[in-house]
Amino acid sequence: MTNDDRRPSIDIERELVRVMAERRITRRQLLEAIAAVGATAALAPIVAACSTAGASATPATTPGATPTAAASLAAASATAAPTATPEPTPVPTPEKDLFIYNWDAYIGENTQSQFEKKYGIKVHYEKFPDASTQMTKIRSDGKGGGYDLTYPASTDVAPLARDGVIQPLSLSLIPNIKNLGTDWQNPPYDPGNKNSVPNYWWTTGIAWDPAKVKEDVTSWAALWNEKYTGKLGMLDDQQECFAAAGFRLGIKPNTTDDAELDKCLNMLKQQKPLLRKYTSDDIGDFTSGQLWMTHAWSGDWVQMTYDKPDAKYVIPSEGAIRGNDVMVVLSGAKNPVAAHLWIDFNLDAKVSAANSNYIGYMGPNAAAQQYISKDLLDNPQLNPDKGVYDALTELVTLEGADLDKYTSRWTELTS
Amino acid sequence: MVWLLGFFLAPLLIIFVVSFGSNDATGHITLANPGLQNYVEATKPEFLPAFLNSVRYSLLTTVFSIGIGYPIAYWISRHGGRHKVLLLILVMLPFWTSYLIRTYAWMIILRDNGVANSILQAVGITDEPIPFLNTDFSVILGMTYGFLPFAILPLFVSIDRLDDALVQAGRDLYASGRGVFMHVVLPLTMPGIVAAAILTFIPAMGDYVTPDLLGGAQTSTIAKVVQVLFTSGRDWPYGSALGFMLMVITLAGTFLALRALRQETFG
Repeated sequence: MTNDDRRPSIDIERELVRVMAERRITRRQLLEAIAAVGATAALAPIVAACSTAGASATPATTPGATPTAAASLAAASATAAPTATPEPTPVPTPEKDLFIYNWDAYIGENTQSQFEKKYGIKVHYEKFPDASTQMTKIRSDGKGGGYDLTYPASTDVAPLARDGVIQPLSLSLIPNIKNLGTDWQNPPYDPGNKNSVPNYWWTTGIAWDPAKVKEDVTSWAALWNEKYTGKLGMLDDQQECFAAAGFRLGIKPNTTDDAELDKCLNMLKQQKPLLRKYTSDDIGDFTSGQLWMTHAWSGDWVQMTYDKPDAKYVIPSEGAIRGNDVMVVLSGAKNPVAAHLWIDFNLDAKVSAANSNYIGYMGPNAAAQQYISKDLLDNPQLNPDKGVYDALTELVTLEGADLDKYTSRWTELTS
Repeated sequence: MVWLLGFFLAPLLIIFVVSFGSNDATGHITLANPGLQNYVEATKPEFLPAFLNSVRYSLLTTVFSIGIGYPIAYWISRHGGRHKVLLLILVMLPFWTSYLIRTYAWMIILRDNGVANSILQAVGITDEPIPFLNTDFSVILGMTYGFLPFAILPLFVSIDRLDDALVQAGRDLYASGRGVFMHVVLPLTMPGIVAAAILTFIPAMGDYVTPDLLGGAQTSTIAKVVQVLFTSGRDWPYGSALGFMLMVITLAGTFLALRALRQETFG
């Protein structure tokens, strides 16, 4: 074993570089995001006053008032070039910049540079540490917080579209959408992919270090095993944790029944004394030895194996959560054409496969399958059989009173 | 004054107003039915463990910061000589690096295969790694490290202002070194100690970064609860109410402590 964590190694510089390279440093953005949100909240009344005053002079640009995305694209390109001739152009001229808001290390290593080279568009890639921060920031001004494109979870699409935070896509600008597998042409969360294009899908299961946990893990019960007290981790995500407890109890994920949620809460309360951490960095906490076994996302396990090649992952037998994320164009996008080009580019079979091969998440892109590495395709934990796949459940977006049911119990648990 | 209005009072006022509102069906903040319901919710007994934890961490951080900071400030003031400014700059030096980076450095030192455990294992003190990280120990260590400069500076100012003649006079009257310290130096530098305590305790109560990064499942703090309400819970009114209440309790507690101290010292 090359990765003996009992071997004394005190090369601080090497360690620091390693940590910076991991996801951990993106925590910095959390602070920046909160600072930004705070400032936005403080200035919101002033901004609102200004925009109301200006509204009478300029045509309404509220997302609800925009009939089609094509119109908004045309309007955008017209503003970009005020002297343009009145006759319509079939493909609008792309802008010079593109502001993307995404997870760290979430696209292939060369995806950004290839895109920049191909289209001559400068990509500004900003990162968020967790989905809550992402939502808080893109909703801060109700139209995307200044970004053009972001990658939310599929379950966020409907509320974002309803609230006008994202704009309908001009599918004519995304010819590569034909590459999507048939399952993904008309997904239930966004029929016809009108507002979003699916990007990756994954599962939430259990990752463990076989050097420390010398048994085969198959059930969620493993995360309640007292033998590993102080070495267990759960994801710092309320819906995922309640779903995991639910699987143990035979309660369906996404329940909003108070009695069922209380049962889940009790289950989690039993578990809490055994835990080292509710982690938002499962990769770092696992590879640096704090966690021997943890609730983890399948793609994070792939990254864990870069440090601990023997690390294992399982989709527990009781069932598990499947998630997928999407690419969306924000309603306040200043570079909507470039954003559409980015989506189209990432649907290219080779680009999509390069993204998947880098991060270890399978994508919905049927044309890309032939370029995806054999390791990934043949791995039943990353690319499960149809039977296992069909038993996976997606989390739904909780809002209002339903969300409060989870949050109040989660704060009680973690308080 | 404008600065104070724009960057302190305005955000505070917004939080105060929002705290009486609620979320409508689509999750937007509305002031349609203003009321105290958020404050009622925020006093749930379930939050007590996190609140008490925060108080405990902040008190210990304050005690350690002053306990460690006082001798340092005293030494710089009395024995720093012409290097005083340089020594003070050294105290401030950590601020040149982002607090987050420095906290990550502590993670590298404290984690199970980190620097501290590697050394302990190399010299044979322990076989299995000692879990430093994600414990009360790591949280208090991290917070004390972070807030120490805030304690040293007011202590230094207060000690430096102390007239050396008074110490001499005490010694002339046959007081022991310890006696002079207890009856002359300590009472006269009490304002510095109080300032250091305030500058450490209040921000420590609101610090969620250190407990979040260096803490674990058993080290909950009330600041983290507020953060969860704002982000995962998307319930700004509730979070605002809890945050506002926390602020009032912290300030009230601090003022009460100050008054008691003042009566003890001067009255």
